[in-house]
Amino acid sequence: MSIDLTFIGQIVVFLALLGLMKKYLYGPLSGLMAERSEKIAKGLAAADAGKEARARAEAEIAEQLKEARVKAQEILTATEKRAAEIEEEITIKARSDAQQIMDAAREEVGAEVNKARQALRKEVANLAMLAAERVLDVELDEKRHAKLIDTVISKEIGHA
Amino acid sequence: MAQEEHGGGIAEHLNYWSYKFDDSNPFMQIHLDTMLTTILVATGLVLFSKWLGGRLTDGAPKGAQNFMESVVGFVDDTVKDNFPVNNPFIAPLALTVFIFIFILNTIDVLPAFLSGHIASLFGVAHYRQTPTNDLNLPVAMAVCVFLMTLYYEFKLKPMHFCKELLLEPFASLLLGAKNPIVKLLGIALIPLNLTLKLVEEVAKPLSLSFRLFGNMFAGEVIFLLISFLLLGGGAVGMVSGFFVGLGWSIFHMFIGLLQAFIFMILTVVYLSIAHQPVEH
Repeated sequence: MSIDLTFIGQIVVFLALLGLMKKYLYGPLSGLMAERSEKIAKGLAAADAGKEARARAEAEIAEQLKEARVKAQEILTATEKRAAEIEEEITIKARSDAQQIMDAAREEVGAEVNKARQALRKEVANLAMLAAERVLDVELDEKRHAKLIDTVISKEIGHA
Repeated sequence: MAQEEHGGGIAEHLNYWSYKFDDSNPFMQIHLDTMLTTILVATGLVLFSKWLGGRLTDGAPKGAQNFMESVVGFVDDTVKDNFPVNNPFIAPLALTVFIFIFILNTIDVLPAFLSGHIASLFGVAHYRQTPTNDLNLPVAMAVCVFLMTLYYEFKLKPMHFCKELLLEPFASLLLGAKNPIVKLLGIALIPLNLTLKLVEEVAKPLSLSFRLFGNMFAGEVIFLLISFLLLGGGAVGMVSGFFVGLGWSIFHMFIGLLQAFIFMILTVVYLSIAHQPVEH
């Protein structure tokens, strides 16, 4: 239980162990731990940044959505207005078309009636001439008296 | 049983396996058991470190790496709490001190006669299994720490340290006085200051080493006492000896951990005092 050469030996052992432990155990481990904590800190910072970016993106999306909604509303209103206009235009056009068709039809009918009247007049003239022939028992000269008969008929039928 | 085999009482068990270079000079001998055990433990630690170093991962640590990282983290925190400046040498020193002493202390929990039995198989008469029981080891470590403290004191603030050595605590008070007689008294007190300061400084390694040595040595002696008092007394003695020995083993393991921690924290504290910036 005295100090002897073991003391020197123990100093050597201790210092050697100290050097080796620093080199092989503490150095790598603490370096690794520092690296890891740096990595974790970076990761957390990145997560924070990501969260912030997401919040910003969400706000942006909400803004855009709102804008889009307003725009859609505008477009809808414009479309409705345009549709009303078109409807009105179509109605007007249809009305005028119908008028035109009706006018054409009326004209045609008028022409037909005239034609029919002419034909009737001719017929009546013939009949009248026939009747007069019977009555007078004279052959009327178709050519000579045509004018007179015509005048009579047109006077009579014209009144009819 | 043990008594018959290892006759000669407790003192007999406290002998070292030593080699004497010079019989007349008690300093010229070396404790082979202490040297062998410490070299084995140190080699084991280095091999473990190299093994661990080869499989370190910077992902989530597992198993041995996780355990060692928690130890390193604990030591790092202790050093950071105590140190005003960053010195990359202190934490590995504290770590080495802590692990080395803890392992050596824990060897003491092995049965007291085991190492003697094993050694006798190889024809060695004595083998002290716990190197921290050998005063040489605590003193060697404490002296290393003391020399480091002195080195940092002289390196970081040489003037301040010399002034403290010569003028504290009396002279600095008296030298400021206007009265020349009081001033002279202050100068006269310098040798007294130096003596007090030297005692204060030398007490550090002394208390550091003797605290560890005393605790571990006492623990060993108590193991031997338990065995000698109880193991000799037949079956009842053996059973009670087993349980008392087990209880003391558990307690002693705790003491070993505690002493390793105390040695480490005092090392850090002494060195941090040396690193403390000068106050004016």
